[in-house]
Amino acid sequence: MNPYRCVFQMGIEKSLEYRTNFVLTMTSSIFPIMIQTIMWTYFYGHTDATVSTGYTYSQIMVYTLLATLVSQFVSTSFAWQINEDIKRGGLNKYLVRPVHYGAYQFCSFLGEKIPQLLLLLLVAVAVIFFSVTVFGLTLSGTRVFLFVISLLFALALNFFLFFTVALTSFWLTDVNHFFATISIVFVVISGGILPLDIFGQKAMLLTKLLPFGYTTQFPVNIINGRYNLQMVGIGFLCQLFWIVFFGLLSESLWKKGLRHYVAVGG
Amino acid sequence: MKKYLRLIGVLMKLSLMSQLEYRVNFIAGVAVELGWMLVKLLYVAVVYRIGVNISVFTPNHIQIFIGIYVLMTGFYMLYYPNFAGLGQMVQSGELDMYLVKPVSLQFIVTLRQWSFPMFLTNAIVGSILIITGWQKAGLAVNVKQILGFLFLLLCSNLLTYSLFLIPYLMCFWIVSTGGIESLSSALWDFNNMPYMIYGKWIQRIGTFILPIFIITNFPGLFLMGNLHPAMFVWAIAAPVLFFILARILWKKAVRNYTSASS
Repeated sequence: MNPYRCVFQMGIEKSLEYRTNFVLTMTSSIFPIMIQTIMWTYFYGHTDATVSTGYTYSQIMVYTLLATLVSQFVSTSFAWQINEDIKRGGLNKYLVRPVHYGAYQFCSFLGEKIPQLLLLLLVAVAVIFFSVTVFGLTLSGTRVFLFVISLLFALALNFFLFFTVALTSFWLTDVNHFFATISIVFVVISGGILPLDIFGQKAMLLTKLLPFGYTTQFPVNIINGRYNLQMVGIGFLCQLFWIVFFGLLSESLWKKGLRHYVAVGG
Repeated sequence: MKKYLRLIGVLMKLSLMSQLEYRVNFIAGVAVELGWMLVKLLYVAVVYRIGVNISVFTPNHIQIFIGIYVLMTGFYMLYYPNFAGLGQMVQSGELDMYLVKPVSLQFIVTLRQWSFPMFLTNAIVGSILIITGWQKAGLAVNVKQILGFLFLLLCSNLLTYSLFLIPYLMCFWIVSTGGIESLSSALWDFNNMPYMIYGKWIQRIGTFILPIFIITNFPGLFLMGNLHPAMFVWAIAAPVLFFILARILWKKAVRNYTSASS
């Protein structure tokens, strides 16, 4: 059996191992959406927030409903495992096998994401249907297709971003706090909580120039119709650029890190 | 009681000493909390950007509510590592070690470690938000208000401890506890905004059945002179009731403990 396929299947089994935990985690992801939905409804009902944010009520609602889902979908948790492998010598067992460590992690990551993807797609369909009927969101097949493509690119981009961050374990002594800070900050600056372009032109420019917005804000704004086809095309190019950039950076860090690696433990 | 207060002092001192032993770790802990702070401050920024009033409260008043939420997060985070580590303790059988100690098991397990980096960041930022919001809103400063506010904060702390311990007791029955952490922190975040933005039913549930809204809203309402006397009484009664409930559930949960290791 292909080793990468095997790892992919193991990832699926891992995420379904503790079902109560899975249900609790999924339930807890509903609350932030609920809080924000209520908050925006209140703000838009009591002020002319469209002027100050640049988002219409329906756009901000679609954003709120989908951003948490997308952010959760692209989120990673392998950095701590990689740190353990590097610090405790667990990497040794991968080095003697005919597999590439990065590819192994990528397949395991994708496998873990499959049950989430299926659930996300189900919820996303419900959310989009709800947005079309309640908020009057206009939707085309092309836009849904572009959203799915951007989501897959976002997944790859976030993997390489965090894989690059994880590889700093070769040089840093204690990374737990560092990883925790990075995870939170990345969620905020990727627009996982609020769209950052509501804070004016400078914020908008920054989200376009930096890679983070392409993991969450960009896919969500495709579906809520804030981008025309040309802007989507430019966005895809930016996503691909950052995937290649972080792919190459992580490969170079991996090679440098291995020279630094002392293979402690048995 | 005196013995337990002295023990808290000793445990706090021990935790602080061990945390200051690794200074870089201490600073890194502060950095993690600053990351979370970014999320909380994002909401303050949105309120000012839009210039919204919630009920009769202006953005300056809303800043006070968010400040209390941040400050209370600091107090909660002070002993939170004990709650988060409870599942691991049950699974590994480490709880055995504490069963034989000559103090209350609930006390030693839930108030053993104190996390100062998390507390300091939240306490400083929260206090700044409250004080500057207080000034900007032009609220009166007198002894009665300050004492009442501090007393309600104390009640809120007892309520936080009792209310948020309850979901963690599930770890005596289930293996993986990550979901409990996610669920309880999601519930905590309902206080991100003043509770007046929620509908009547959510307000009622969050005040009387699962009284998370009392924790950050009631001290703020008292400060602004908007807390009804009956609600003031409830702000004192709810922590006592929920502490008793948490105590009963704790005893029930411990009876379910089977000791995992040899």
